Amino acid sequence: MVQSIKQEELGIQFKAKKFIIWLFVVSSTIMFGGWTSYYIVFSASKGKGHGIVLPELFIYSTVVLLVSSAFLFLASKAFKNGNYSSQKLFLSITILLGITFGVLQVDAWGSMVRTGAFFSNNNAAISLIYVVSGFHILHIFAGICLVFSALMGAYKEIPLQRRIYRMEIASIFWHFIDILWIYLYVFLLLNS
Amino acid sequence: MSTISLHDTHNHDNHDDHGHHKETFLTKYIFSQDHKMIAKQFLITGIIMAVIAMGLSILFRIQLAWPDKNFPILETFLGEWAAGGRIKPDFYLALVTIHGTIMVFFVLTAGLSGTFSNLLIPLQLGARDMASPFLNMLSYWFFFSACVIMMSSFFIQTGPASAGWTIYPPLSALPTAIKGSGMGMTLWLISMVLFVASSLMGGINYVSTVLNMRTKGMDLWKMPLTIWAFFLTATLGILSFPVLVAGVVLLVFDRSFGTSFYLSDIVMGTQVLPNEGGSPILWQHLFWFLGHPEVYIVIMPALGISSEIISVNSRKPIFGYHAMVYSLIGITILSFIVWGHHMFITGMNPLLGGVFMITTLIIAVPSAVKTFNYLATLWRGNIRFTPAMLFAIGLVSFFISGGLTGIFLGNAALDINLHDTYFVVAHFHLVMGSAAIFGMLAGVYHWFPKMFGRMMSNKLGYLHFWLTFISAYLVFFPLHFLGLDGVPRRYYAFTEFEFMQKWLTVNVFVTWSAIMGALAQVAFLWNFFYSIFKGKRAPQNPWEANTLEWTAPVEHLHGNWPGEIPTVYRWPYDYSKPGAEEDFIPQTIPFSQTMSSNMPHDFEGNSESERIQREWEEQEAAAKKAKLD
Ligand code: HEM
Ligand SMILES: [Cu+2]
Repeated sequence: MVQSIKQEELGIQFKAKKFIIWLFVVSSTIMFGGWTSYYIVFSASKGKGHGIVLPELFIYSTVVLLVSSAFLFLASKAFKNGNYSSQKLFLSITILLGITFGVLQVDAWGSMVRTGAFFSNNNAAISLIYVVSGFHILHIFAGICLVFSALMGAYKEIPLQRRIYRMEIASIFWHFIDILWIYLYVFLLLNS
Repeated sequence: MSTISLHDTHNHDNHDDHGHHKETFLTKYIFSQDHKMIAKQFLITGIIMAVIAMGLSILFRIQLAWPDKNFPILETFLGEWAAGGRIKPDFYLALVTIHGTIMVFFVLTAGLSGTFSNLLIPLQLGARDMASPFLNMLSYWFFFSACVIMMSSFFIQTGPASAGWTIYPPLSALPTAIKGSGMGMTLWLISMVLFVASSLMGGINYVSTVLNMRTKGMDLWKMPLTIWAFFLTATLGILSFPVLVAGVVLLVFDRSFGTSFYLSDIVMGTQVLPNEGGSPILWQHLFWFLGHPEVYIVIMPALGISSEIISVNSRKPIFGYHAMVYSLIGITILSFIVWGHHMFITGMNPLLGGVFMITTLIIAVPSAVKTFNYLATLWRGNIRFTPAMLFAIGLVSFFISGGLTGIFLGNAALDINLHDTYFVVAHFHLVMGSAAIFGMLAGVYHWFPKMFGRMMSNKLGYLHFWLTFISAYLVFFPLHFLGLDGVPRRYYAFTEFEFMQKWLTVNVFVTWSAIMGALAQVAFLWNFFYSIFKGKRAPQNPWEANTLEWTAPVEHLHGNWPGEIPTVYRWPYDYSKPGAEEDFIPQTIPFSQTMSSNMPHDFEGNSESERIQREWEEQEAAAKKAKLD
């Protein structure tokens, strides 16, 4: 009986913590929403958008990010089936793809700079491309840390309940930043 | 016997999973993860910041009352900034800016929500702690760092930020614009980013705790109105603060990286700046999208606190509990679509202005509903005038008088005249600077026994209340008339303008009242700090209230309740229920123990309970009849 009370309270604690990640996702969405609203009002009042062709690298990075999400999904599935070695493998691949994504994004900035679309720019819409993609990379960094903690949990074989928790947190966050980037990319494509 | 030992083991278990076996000074008082300690940290930091901000306001009030007198003592304290004993214009602007920032954000957001959400959410909902105690601790330390950084700007040569608490660009975006636009502004921005991070961590925690960690029986409609208010406030913060971050980030880039988000066509002296294409109006949109919800972030916890206090001390159920909740929800939603009323004169399309005007006037409806419900709760109550009660009633008074002027300002046509005058200053000081502060003080008086296990002195409380109440009206009421006469806010010397000179005598009067108000706070500070150590020991339930926090022992334990968390059976407002033995029935008393006072609607249509109640009543009637015969 005592044990079950404790279990119950612990379960509630995990549920509440998972909810925290969801709320973080909400507030982060709103921050990006603030920037894209800036963009909309800006381009409506000036009658112009960023007006450049977005670097091709963004296409590649988008694909990489999508694939990474797929691998994270596979990792969760493997974990649920008790297949811990493939779980570890898939988690590692997710991290590698995440890092690749970051590198590609930075490369994309490089190619923008080469075409003369600098960050410090009299067209704020162009500067905003850097701002949103830059803050998105910060999220990727945080996401990598979460996936890494899930991976560490798997290696150290911490208690199952906490491993589940870490996997769930990492998944929620990683899929979120995946969708967030797609939103940003499509937004920038449509509002050139 | 067996139950006792069961509770005992459970108790120990609990300690294990919190991992708090050995508490050192550092983990208990400094890096505490206990919500009750964090609440106290927020409160005391908030009080210190409030005293500082009040001091700043006295400084600029002195300047306003006696613009061409010298006060050598000022130079002694402020040095350069008051050379010759007179506050310099640059410093005057810094003073109003930091006063506003501290009061709005540090005192009435962090100090108010941070204290009472932390203290009451777990205690009134029956939880052992917050969803994430660690995040909660971090929230406090981010707040603390924000305070330190904000204050540090007084110790740099160019002084603190001076662009007003709304830091409109270009003043805030060009580091060389005025003195305060330099390093001071940078520190302001850093401080605010930390502050927002702190608020978000806190708010996310509060929402998650409310939604996930309520004790058995505590469904949403059994929550005290305090919790509803804190919950909606936190929601509002989560949904609006990120927008401020978005705006601040762009501002930082404008300042330091040569972007043109808010800048265009600027000539500084003889130099034409390269920035083009941005718009300072866009900052105003981003700022007020947060800024308006922010004013409700400030008032809603105060409203929740007074609901609770007014009901307890009127010994009556709160009038219109559901209406109160729906008004709070209405305010929360509406507050996202009214921000334009701060921008009527930015050249906005009149049609859009009309829309914002309508939404603004609609938000007055839920505000009025709340006011009437307070009055109806007080009506024919069995009122106990504790200091907390007086402050809660004071809140109602200020909320009415300040809310009325809001309706004037909400009319675009009137606001064209009133915008940026002292009328606005009067409006928001009544509704925020007075009402919200009174709500906070009411909360301090009411929950002091819960926080510190001791009572505050009532006599000093009354003295504090009356002096503060009177001086607040004396300070802020006359400002309306300055505003109606077109006197603009944030002007340094009234002597410089013909039409403002006639108001100098009023300014002297207002300044004296402000000084009286400030001195009144000494009564509070003494009472507060003295009572922490020497106050009378508090009983467990000093106000005979129903809510769960008063079922927890006076000494603080990590985990709040020894043994099991209490279960909740009824709503929190069963005061003076006809047929009950006492005039309050705590939420933990099941209906089976109060057969004589149960009402049909208590059972929410549960036919089994209704049947039991009916049988009991029949028995009771039969017994009575037998006695009579
Ligand atoms: C009845 C509801 C209310 C209405 C209709 C209302 C309306 C307005 C309007 C139209 C303004 C803009 C005035 C101008 O700048 O020209 C204003 C300013 C302000 N209001 Fe309210 N208000 C209401 C309640 C509140 C409450 C409850 C608070 C805070 C607790 C508040 C705090 C403020 C503040 C701080 C400002 C001034 C901001 C600044 O320019 O520095 N208001 N209000
Ligand atoms: Cu407003």
